[in-house]
Amino acid sequence: MIHLPVVKANERVFKITPEEAPTHDLRDELFQLEKEGELEVIRVPEPYMEVKTKYGRTKKIPLEKTWHHKSCGQCGHIPGYSTSIFWLNRAFGLDYYDPTDQTSCTAWNYYASATSNPEAQAAVAIRNFASAHEVGYFPLIHCGTSFGHYKEVRHALVHQHDLRRKVRDIMKKLGKKLVIPEEIVHYSEWVLAMRDRIAERQVIDMSHITATVHPACHYHKLIEEDAVYESEIYGAQRTAIVTASLQALGINVADYSSWFDCCGFGFRHILVSRDFSRSFSVQRKIEVMKEEANPDIVVTHDTGCVTTLDQSQVAGKAHNMKVGLPVMADSQVAALAMGAHPYKVLQLHWHNTDNKPFLRKLGIDVDKKWAEFQAECDLIKAGKKEYLTWEDAEK
Amino acid sequence: MANENVLIIGGGAAGIEAAKGVSAMGYKAILVEKRDRLGGTPDEEKYAALTPDLRNTTEAFAELMAPIVDNPLVDIHYNTLITGAEGELGNFTIKALQLGKEVEFNVGSVIIATGFKHFDPGRETQKYAYYELDDVITLTDAEKMLSQHKFVRPSNGEEPKRICFIQCVGSRDRRLGNEYCSKVCCGISSKQSIEIKKLLPDCKVYIFYIDMRMYGYWENEIYWPAQEEYKVNYIKGMATEIVKKGDKVLVKGEDTTFRRPMEVEMDMVILAVGMEPSEGTKQMAKIFGVNQNKYGFIETTGGCLDTVSTNVPGVFAAGATTGPADLEDSVSAGAMAAIKALTAIRSLAVPA
Repeated sequence: MIHLPVVKANERVFKITPEEAPTHDLRDELFQLEKEGELEVIRVPEPYMEVKTKYGRTKKIPLEKTWHHKSCGQCGHIPGYSTSIFWLNRAFGLDYYDPTDQTSCTAWNYYASATSNPEAQAAVAIRNFASAHEVGYFPLIHCGTSFGHYKEVRHALVHQHDLRRKVRDIMKKLGKKLVIPEEIVHYSEWVLAMRDRIAERQVIDMSHITATVHPACHYHKLIEEDAVYESEIYGAQRTAIVTASLQALGINVADYSSWFDCCGFGFRHILVSRDFSRSFSVQRKIEVMKEEANPDIVVTHDTGCVTTLDQSQVAGKAHNMKVGLPVMADSQVAALAMGAHPYKVLQLHWHNTDNKPFLRKLGIDVDKKWAEFQAECDLIKAGKKEYLTWEDAEK
Repeated sequence: MANENVLIIGGGAAGIEAAKGVSAMGYKAILVEKRDRLGGTPDEEKYAALTPDLRNTTEAFAELMAPIVDNPLVDIHYNTLITGAEGELGNFTIKALQLGKEVEFNVGSVIIATGFKHFDPGRETQKYAYYELDDVITLTDAEKMLSQHKFVRPSNGEEPKRICFIQCVGSRDRRLGNEYCSKVCCGISSKQSIEIKKLLPDCKVYIFYIDMRMYGYWENEIYWPAQEEYKVNYIKGMATEIVKKGDKVLVKGEDTTFRRPMEVEMDMVILAVGMEPSEGTKQMAKIFGVNQNKYGFIETTGGCLDTVSTNVPGVFAAGATTGPADLEDSVSAGAMAAIKALTAIRSLAVPA
């Protein structure tokens, strides 16, 4: 037993104080602008959960009446990511809206220095917000890129009168109002807010599972004060997102030294220097995780992160590198824990890295599940059905 | 008739020196301290030795306090918190709580010497891992260990082989809003590096700095001895992230001399935390209605020629209450505040 006059890290108590925040609470300015008739604020509908953000402020996370702003990359590369979010909403009988008139946020090209201007960027964001508001639902952003971008757009609109005027004019031509949500909410914050309810419905034991978490850069580095932090998670020194959700499921979250680094996606890199993205993802993330934590799975919460961390391992495998870690979104892990089908709902066949050993470790009969999925596919091939339905997913 | 007593709030270096000055000039000093002992932050945080002369803190403060202990012209009130004030120069009525009991002081002028608090590295969220890693400590933690002449890794009790200091933690940081230099941290880090090398001659000690600020004689007193006699390595570079790597602490950042990224493994990291206004300083500013600068320190009105007068006649501030200050500054300002406080009272007796 060491007796020192210095307390250990877990005994040091960090008090989050909103008064010492280096930034203003944007919502105060937002409501002031609403009073002045500059814009309309979309209120977070009830019921909502209050969580704490980086500087100790409170953020409202809506549990229902959510308008699901999907992700281009998710739908294109890893559709089970979004399906898992919808499956969770349906499992809890929550009122949600899956719009068909949502557009891309166009932020990927913006962050890759490839396109657009502030007015166009902001107008696209507001058009989507307005679509949600018109049907009486609140935007829930699936994509980390869109989430980060919308936070930046909101910040710019609040602080730039000229930009507001231009966007208001564009909206007028579209027959829509300049509306801005009270909170910009990422789906993983919804998972975090729902974590106890998810854990109550957990049917697959995950207490023997070790995971490493990659927090998405656009979640906790852009408008950083809007990310969720909890005293119990790394002493409120890192965002609680994903980690808190996994811990609620009994998963052991292991640390690794490159946790703060990008997944490798890098927006511009994945477009113009893809080899760099692959190398970074494998060498700075996956290999480090393997060496330092040897997890069963990597869990993250953004389209770019899941695809990059997962798909880059193919390149690493070809070079006999230390790869082979399945990568999933927190929504997929949560749905799996509640008994969602690994292929019909999670659609893990879209993932590159072999996830069967992980599923088997959870006691899931992978061959049986695959056969069930194949049977449904055979029906589609035979022209007996057009696509899988939610009823099929529950069979 | 003006009341000629002076109330001094805070029993640190500036407050003690102010009480000494007031009593030495034959006037009554009423010294109130929220703790049950004098000595201020150096005592509360158990500083091992003073910068720059490495003098034992307890001994040095005992010497500083000696003239006011058992001095009939100095009333010391421990466990006392000021709660309200009214009146004006020559006739202030100050309310306070003393161990839960309300007390009142009638004085002619007031010296606020409530000092500073150390920057909490947790506010630089996710950068320094202070709340995550046992082997990341602050200058004040290091002082506590050095005062016991034992310097080991908190994680396992073993003697460290590689240590680094990281300068400007919470200082000169525009993002946080603390754009100022805290003045003492470079000196204290250099002083501690010497103390560590004395205890652990084989330990490699590094100091990562933006630029070292060695005021006055500190250059020869601690900076050069640290390098030449004790072989401390000063590296111009910014640490941007601290993470765990095995049983080591991995410091990531940039070596700005070589203009390249760096990743170095350490057994321990010491964060050179800067200064911020204490809660007491912020509270006293509100109670007495004195102006604060944008950082929360009490604002003095005379620029560099009068470092203790405030916007409220009869209310003065001294030491780290007005901004980052070393002990030399604090003691000097305490003495100056004593003179100004008495001069202000005496000016009332002079016919116009």
